[in-house]
Amino acid sequence: MASTTAAVTEPRTYLEYKRFSAFHRWMHFLVFVSFTVLVFTGMPLKYKETHWAKWVMDAVGGVTAAGVYHRIAALVTVFYWTCEVLLMVYVVFRNRGRGVFAPGSIMPNKKDWADIKGMFRWFFGRGPKPQFDRFTYWEKFDFMSLVGGTVIIGLTGFIMWFPMTFTKVLPGVFINVALVIHSNEALLAAGVIFIFVHLFSAHLRPESWPIDKVIFTGSLPLEHYKEERPLEYARRVQEGTLGEVLVVRRITWRTRLTDVIWYGITAVAGLAAVLMTVFIVWSIFS
Amino acid sequence: MTALAALAAFGLLALSGLAAAQTVGPNAEAEKCLSCHGDQSLGTIDVGGVQKTLFVDATVYGTSLHGLLDCTSCHLGFKPRRHVAAESANWLETAKLTACGNCHADQFAMYSGSFHGHLALGQTGSNAPLCADCHLAHNVVDVHSTAFRRSILDLCGRCHGGRSSTYLDSYHGKAALLGDNATAVCTDCHGAHRILPASDPASTISKQSIVQTCAKCHPGANRNFAGFLVHVDPRSPHSNFWVWLFYAFYITLIVCIFTFGGVHTALYIYRGFKDGLYNRRGH
Ligand code: HEM
Repeated sequence: MASTTAAVTEPRTYLEYKRFSAFHRWMHFLVFVSFTVLVFTGMPLKYKETHWAKWVMDAVGGVTAAGVYHRIAALVTVFYWTCEVLLMVYVVFRNRGRGVFAPGSIMPNKKDWADIKGMFRWFFGRGPKPQFDRFTYWEKFDFMSLVGGTVIIGLTGFIMWFPMTFTKVLPGVFINVALVIHSNEALLAAGVIFIFVHLFSAHLRPESWPIDKVIFTGSLPLEHYKEERPLEYARRVQEGTLGEVLVVRRITWRTRLTDVIWYGITAVAGLAAVLMTVFIVWSIFS
Repeated sequence: MTALAALAAFGLLALSGLAAAQTVGPNAEAEKCLSCHGDQSLGTIDVGGVQKTLFVDATVYGTSLHGLLDCTSCHLGFKPRRHVAAESANWLETAKLTACGNCHADQFAMYSGSFHGHLALGQTGSNAPLCADCHLAHNVVDVHSTAFRRSILDLCGRCHGGRSSTYLDSYHGKAALLGDNATAVCTDCHGAHRILPASDPASTISKQSIVQTCAKCHPGANRNFAGFLVHVDPRSPHSNFWVWLFYAFYITLIVCIFTFGGVHTALYIYRGFKDGLYNRRGH
């Protein structure tokens, strides 16, 4: 009975909270594609003695071809990193250096430390769940480790790409060190991105379960937002800036089609990521 | 005089033509040997405690690079009969080493001056490889074939296991394992017949010539570039301190981050279940 009523009156237009701009969604798409390519063309080298490494290498067209794809994806990485950093610099300039560590910023601040402690208290049932502003501490960590990790992995990658140029000034052992750093930073990055950011934050976390689509749709239902980021909501109400982040999301055949396409891409990439994670975990523990 | 030379040349040509016309497979001389040695039940012979089979597979030998040669080209002095002690003395070393020099004099000379050659020719009972240890005997293969190139890692690795495992950790080794047949293998840097220790100036990997050796594949290679360490074990601080330091740092970092992340995730999910956060409707 209730469900029939719901079906009849189901609204096709929602008031939603806009979390990510088109820019951010496109950046995420570039990270998503290039990162997957980098992992698939790099990891077989790290685990060269396994059967899966040979299988993946052959599947992507051999070692030489993999090297070419790895370098193309590396250039995409340099591109998105530059865009993201330019945007951050622009925002800092626009605000004349103010508010860099303010509550809504992606930069870490004192409250994050308090939140970590608060979350552990909550885990053990010794306090309420901390309330978050726009970004939680783990979201800040994930973002910063990508931006910072890209610098490390990029520099070491370029040393291996152009060893002749770099050894004009650096001793040869830098190439050895670059490989060790690149290889292990890649393992760290793949683990954090695949397991903690995606498997956990985007799927398994109670607030996201079974899937958090906001990076594809850009916005999420207002009710959900109020519950998840109460501090940002309260802050915006107080500042009178709530209107800036409210959007009307209309469900049309086009948005449905886009959803289906995104689900398809996500499912394929998700399977690939799960496969790679299983391969790596298997190799480490055997 | 010229007529004689022409005649000789013609004779040689005709002979080689004859040889080429022969179908692949052991020749008539070899057939005599194979009348006994082609028998699988011939048994084995003790060579320094190792049992070697006396059986020779005619097809394997016939299709090998040496397939058209008489058996006695390598097994010098043997007659098709029940062999006497004079024939068999030193037979293995002859077949695997000394006889090779009769045709491959240049390679044999280089080998004799090499580290392996010094050991093999100078000491009795050394473990140094003889020609046939790398090139194989009845199934001798074309050294220009991909199959031989791919087998080099294993050949050298039989004695130099530690070296080959550090090589496999370098980009050359990884690429070679995963199917790149153009990447450098042991012999590309160390040479094949004339392998010398790095301390010898004439070695391909000595201070004096290493840059040139790298430049064979990496034009423009410089001294620093050649300072790249091919055989380094990141797991040991004694191999190279800096490589080990970064390796140890990263392993520690990875373990810490994954432990923290794992505990955080597990507790979050546990609390989510406890508080019934997964059962809420509306998202
Ligand atoms: C700007 C970015 C990057 C550049 C310039 C770069 C470049 C390189 C180069 C030159 C190699 C040596 C192998 C080869 O020549 O193909 C390599 C290996 C590798 N790369 Fe990258 N790369 C970059 C980013 C990444 C990222 C983001 C990942 C993964 C998350 C990654 C994972 C790997 C792995 C696992 C290896 C093999 C390391 C090993 O041999 O153990 N790379 N990369």
